[in-house]
Amino acid sequence: MCSISWVQILSYVTFVICVVGIASKVIKIYGLPIHLRWELYPIPHEKDFRYGGSYLEEVDWWKKPRKKNFLNFVKFLFIEILFVRVLYHNNRKMWYLSFPLHFGLYLVIVWLGLLFLAAVLLALGLSTEHVLILFLQGIATVLGVVGFILAAVGCVGLIIRRATAKQLQGYSAPIDYFNLVFILTVVASGFFVWLGDSRFLTIREYLTSLITFSYAGPLGSAITLHIILFSLFAIYLPFTHMSHAFMKFFLWDKVLFEDEPNLKGGSVESRVTTVLNYKQTWSAPHMHAGGTWSETASKGVDNEEK
Amino acid sequence: MKKNNINVEDISDPSIQMAVIEPENLMPLPYPYDTPDAQPPLKKLTDDQKERYESDLDGFLALKLPKPETKEEEDRLVGQFLEGLKKLLSRENNWTFLMPLMMSLEYCAKCQTCNDACPVYIASGKEEIYRPTYRAEVLRRIVNKYLKRGGRTFAKFTGNEIDLNWKTVARLAELSYRCTLCRRCAQTCPIGVDNGLINHELRKIFSQEMGIAAEELHEKGSVLQLKTGSSTGMNKPAFMDIIEFLEEEIEEKTGKKIKIPIDKKGADILLIHNAGEFLSWPENPSAFAIIFEEAGINWTLSSEIAGYDAVNYGVWYDDAQLARVAVQHAKIAKNLGVKKIVVGECGHAHKALIVVADRVLNGDLNIPRESCLPILEDIVVNEKIKLDPQKNNFPVTLHDPCNIVRLMGIVEPQRKILRKIAPLFREMSPHGVQNYCCGGGGGFAIMPSLNIPDWRSAVSGRMKFKQILDAFQDEIDPNIRKMICAPCSNCKGAIRDLLDYYDAWEKTGIAYTGLVDLIVNAMVDIDGPFIEWPDEM
Repeated sequence: MCSISWVQILSYVTFVICVVGIASKVIKIYGLPIHLRWELYPIPHEKDFRYGGSYLEEVDWWKKPRKKNFLNFVKFLFIEILFVRVLYHNNRKMWYLSFPLHFGLYLVIVWLGLLFLAAVLLALGLSTEHVLILFLQGIATVLGVVGFILAAVGCVGLIIRRATAKQLQGYSAPIDYFNLVFILTVVASGFFVWLGDSRFLTIREYLTSLITFSYAGPLGSAITLHIILFSLFAIYLPFTHMSHAFMKFFLWDKVLFEDEPNLKGGSVESRVTTVLNYKQTWSAPHMHAGGTWSETASKGVDNEEK
Repeated sequence: MKKNNINVEDISDPSIQMAVIEPENLMPLPYPYDTPDAQPPLKKLTDDQKERYESDLDGFLALKLPKPETKEEEDRLVGQFLEGLKKLLSRENNWTFLMPLMMSLEYCAKCQTCNDACPVYIASGKEEIYRPTYRAEVLRRIVNKYLKRGGRTFAKFTGNEIDLNWKTVARLAELSYRCTLCRRCAQTCPIGVDNGLINHELRKIFSQEMGIAAEELHEKGSVLQLKTGSSTGMNKPAFMDIIEFLEEEIEEKTGKKIKIPIDKKGADILLIHNAGEFLSWPENPSAFAIIFEEAGINWTLSSEIAGYDAVNYGVWYDDAQLARVAVQHAKIAKNLGVKKIVVGECGHAHKALIVVADRVLNGDLNIPRESCLPILEDIVVNEKIKLDPQKNNFPVTLHDPCNIVRLMGIVEPQRKILRKIAPLFREMSPHGVQNYCCGGGGGFAIMPSLNIPDWRSAVSGRMKFKQILDAFQDEIDPNIRKMICAPCSNCKGAIRDLLDYYDAWEKTGIAYTGLVDLIVNAMVDIDGPFIEWPDEM
């Protein structure tokens, strides 16, 4: 008999692809060149975030120490990612559906994390009746079931809304429905696992087998189906626009809230020097293709074509 | 033929007119513009203009794109567009906005939340093609279908159905000039996607690759500015004449004999105005001169090419032109040996020189740059000049220029000043970083060609006009004089045209001015009023 099953192999492969997929996206973002400033207020790390003020409100701002309120930034991200506050304020109808979907999925992630933690503790030798294991198992069960239900409600609601709301119909493609149905099958299969295993013990044992690289034993059809669907989704997610769930951090941090000034001798200055030496090949006559951006910027008064 | 229920794919359909803008379908306005006969008509294109130019987007023309004569010419232009799009997504050609563009193209969830934030879309009566997502979606589909591997094979399933033909390109070009770049849409996006940025990048393909841009922005804008000194066409001798005129006007109006410093080496501040102020509102640079002299500031203006014109139209359509103008401004400041550049009341010049060009001006060109508003706040709030607020004893509301407020976070200085000098100051709703554009953003304020001014006043400026009327609704009687304070030259121009278009002075008694004008109007040691109401001109 093989020491580990094909389902377990699928789980390991999933883990690697998912991590590599997400990492490659993040690395790609960090590898992009510095861009021109394009910030948008209010910016949470600014001291006058309350009304959208910035350091540019001060005379001789460059002579003053830069004050960034990191705590406010974290608070903003926490509330925004968890509760989708911007959507709540600007599109309540959509929020009623989008929030349960996203919050439900976050609960599912926490569920998986807690079960994983319990599995680690078991692998380290704690007994299945240890109070910590029981506690983690109990919390995970509640969060998991609530998460599955919320996410399913959100999916069904969004499918209906995309199909019926006039402003969404023309912008909704088969793939958008496919994605929602895919998520629905994942969470529904998770819910079915719970119907046959009210404490998700089989999932925990399966996770333990993954940690210890030991044979998981024969799995029931419900859990097998759930693992397969969950794995396929985790492989698929990083390569779709659904990765906005975590990539939106960069849209804020690296673009809309990126108001770092270019101070003499600062870190921005050297990065700017690099990009100004890039060559551009734009074809319009006034662009003077072939020169560096630095040269292009200097072709001002005398070299302008009529 | 106008088609109902326009879809994204329809942009490629040569047989249809995509939108027809009629006054009766636009967003309703408050009293006294709440009746159909109070809506001014919209200027239509002539048959000749329709024959010559690509006009079947919405019947308005910002670009005046001539119709290609042959299929070969159409194909060549489509090829150029696609080539430009590739460059837009390349590191070396578009490091300037590559990251924001890629992320905005990739992560939109198409939830349409941004639509209700867009004053153009709402004011138009929710015209489909004006959705902030419409042009972004067209571009996204072209990228996904024509530039990505397997894009054509899976286009239907992935929602990237679109035909890239000359109609698509021509309409996209014109459509990129139906957004004021106010970026309210990005503020409401739960993901942080910026459809305003996508519009900006679209304009760049046309300008930087195809040589297509609004004439007022390029040939008569940044090119003229770098050649003669100003986008107004004003050269150095003309500028010097105007300065002399300003000095005489100041003396005549206030009794103060002021010598406006020009090209003063080693001054603390190089003040750069939008040159439009010298020609259209000379009282504004005069007011700056009075305030700065009274406060004892060591400042100067420049008479060098572009040194007396802060505008930088490149910020709306072309990175090279943006950089060239900014570099020219910085070189002048460097040669004068000033400690800092201060930008006068011009919103886009603020954003271009202080923020966007911050990563163009390196080394010895990295001269400190700041807005005029904090200095004015310091002068007014710390009482460096004597002011009597009762001299401004009329209702005043404040327009927030998008570039200064939402895009730079300069919100309070102008308010602190108005609270000090205008006892009847009241806010518009919404205001501050949630403000609405004047309708002249993205270059519209300085685009007087064909019927674009009507589109600006009826559509893109409509929400601002509504805000203004709402702010004064309790005193809308035309016999009560009311003032809009707009600390931005282009906003002021757009508001001037709005008030003219709706005959607002006669019907509501609403006028407009700049911030420094109101400050000088409140100065104790000036006998008569400094600002002039329309019936006094």
